[in-house]
Amino acid sequence: MPIQRELNAAVTICARDVLRYIRDWKNTLGFSFFFPIAFLGILGGTIGQNMGAGLGYDYMQFALLGMVANLLVQFTMMGVTSLIEERESGFTQEIFISPVSRYSNLFGKILGGSLGSVVSLIALFIVAFAMGIPLSLAGIGCILLVTPVLFLLGGAMGVLLSGIFGSSPKAVDRATIMVMFPQMFLSGALIPVKNSTGVLSVLVHLMPATYLVDLLRGVFYQGTPVYGQVVLYNPIVDLIISVALAMAFLVLGSYLFVQSERNR
Amino acid sequence: MDGLSFDVRPGEFFAFLGPNGAGKTTTISILTTTLAKSSGTVRIGGYDLDRQAKDVRQSIGIIFQNPSLDLNLTAEENIRFHVSLYGIYGYRPSYRMMPRPYQENVLELAEVVGIAQDIFKPVKTFSGGMKRKLEIIRSLMHKPKILFLDEPTLGLDAVSRRSLWDYLQKIHEEEKMTIFLTTHYIEEAEEADRICIVNHGRMLFSGSPQEMKNLMVSKYLLIDAEDRDSLRSELAGFGPEPMEDGSLKVRFSESTPQNILSQIKTPLSFMRLHEPTLEEAYIDLVSNGQDEEEAS
Repeated sequence: MPIQRELNAAVTICARDVLRYIRDWKNTLGFSFFFPIAFLGILGGTIGQNMGAGLGYDYMQFALLGMVANLLVQFTMMGVTSLIEERESGFTQEIFISPVSRYSNLFGKILGGSLGSVVSLIALFIVAFAMGIPLSLAGIGCILLVTPVLFLLGGAMGVLLSGIFGSSPKAVDRATIMVMFPQMFLSGALIPVKNSTGVLSVLVHLMPATYLVDLLRGVFYQGTPVYGQVVLYNPIVDLIISVALAMAFLVLGSYLFVQSERNR
Repeated sequence: MDGLSFDVRPGEFFAFLGPNGAGKTTTISILTTTLAKSSGTVRIGGYDLDRQAKDVRQSIGIIFQNPSLDLNLTAEENIRFHVSLYGIYGYRPSYRMMPRPYQENVLELAEVVGIAQDIFKPVKTFSGGMKRKLEIIRSLMHKPKILFLDEPTLGLDAVSRRSLWDYLQKIHEEEKMTIFLTTHYIEEAEEADRICIVNHGRMLFSGSPQEMKNLMVSKYLLIDAEDRDSLRSELAGFGPEPMEDGSLKVRFSESTPQNILSQIKTPLSFMRLHEPTLEEAYIDLVSNGQDEEEAS
């Protein structure tokens, strides 16, 4: 069965990524803990101590949710773009000459990147508990409920970058960083954007991560008194926008990726 | 590439040679579907490269110039990922969970190439020769009709090169597999059925190693005697060329210098037969080709 075969290939690519994360556990753990400590612990902690008092809600919990959305998106995206970064070396050559559809390659990388990013989610939870950020089991359940959407849009962004910059591993590397940091600061992950106006408001709404951060907070804070203060849109609206963006990125990115492979 | 056209017959050992920048890797990249061609047609194993790329990939095995192994995985894991990607077996997270035929095949091939003791060790602990052997095992797991070898012995020591070639010769003979080789070690092409030489994207020669030697380099006899005048007069009909040390160089085109020797009555003080090597023929051919290009 061709579909079963393609699915098996995607699972294989994903399994390899997961095994690599495990084998390379020192780097994986180091990298996974670096961002939560740097952004949630140090940056978020500093903002929370100095500016969070008058907000009317727990800033650190607000920042934790923002970081969950951002980091899962970024790690999944980087998992997919590693397909291009490693193209000229190692096992990726083997993937490219195997009788497997390029779509399966991408799907496998999205799965692998998603599972790999779970380590950073666990790291975030550990940092959160260490900092005393309130997080109930129900809250963790809300986060896990939204993660498939985070993986989907993160993976789709990776596919789009791979499609646009597929011919140059260095360009993909740079583009990933160029996309990562604006998402971090303009999506409302760490800095509230509810009252942004003018150009900044436009930029906030151009960031795909904005809708994911808002979706996660919308689900997490549903029915709480602070809901109106921290959430931009109804979660259904965020979900529709996120899935629509993911579909558009997947279709366009896959098309560009397959084209760039043919024209190499 | 500039109007390059050639065919490789099933089961043939085909050597594709040329100097640096000749277009060898470009050609092999096109043939293995990793680089798109700008024009022309390619058929591999009966499949059209443009319309049936997946079928082409299924029917070929490749050993790249640079190892394409995952150093973080064990040798067996590299093989397991390969067979799963090629759809031979469904992916299983451990060797023990893989079907029995897979397990037997891996151990058997590892035994044959001499890495059975290390098959469950991480590839990062392997020497260059062991990595190449592992790549060969891996590339054969899906039983390809055609095996592409892009400078497979690059960076290997003489012993590793010899043992690798012994194994490749064996599988070529036993499996009747087509081998497409690019190499800078010209002696590796001695056993080829056919050699194709390219330079600057154009074909300079196509034929057997013997045809190449015959075509490009003359055989000659270096000969000397106490009585040089007598020897020279006996060989006058063969156009002997005096060498710096006074000996004579007599060229011949037949398979042996029988004709020349039968004319000699003068007692000889020295005789040496020069048989051209493939490398000399190659250098001659490529140098002549470059001279012609520069002249034009």
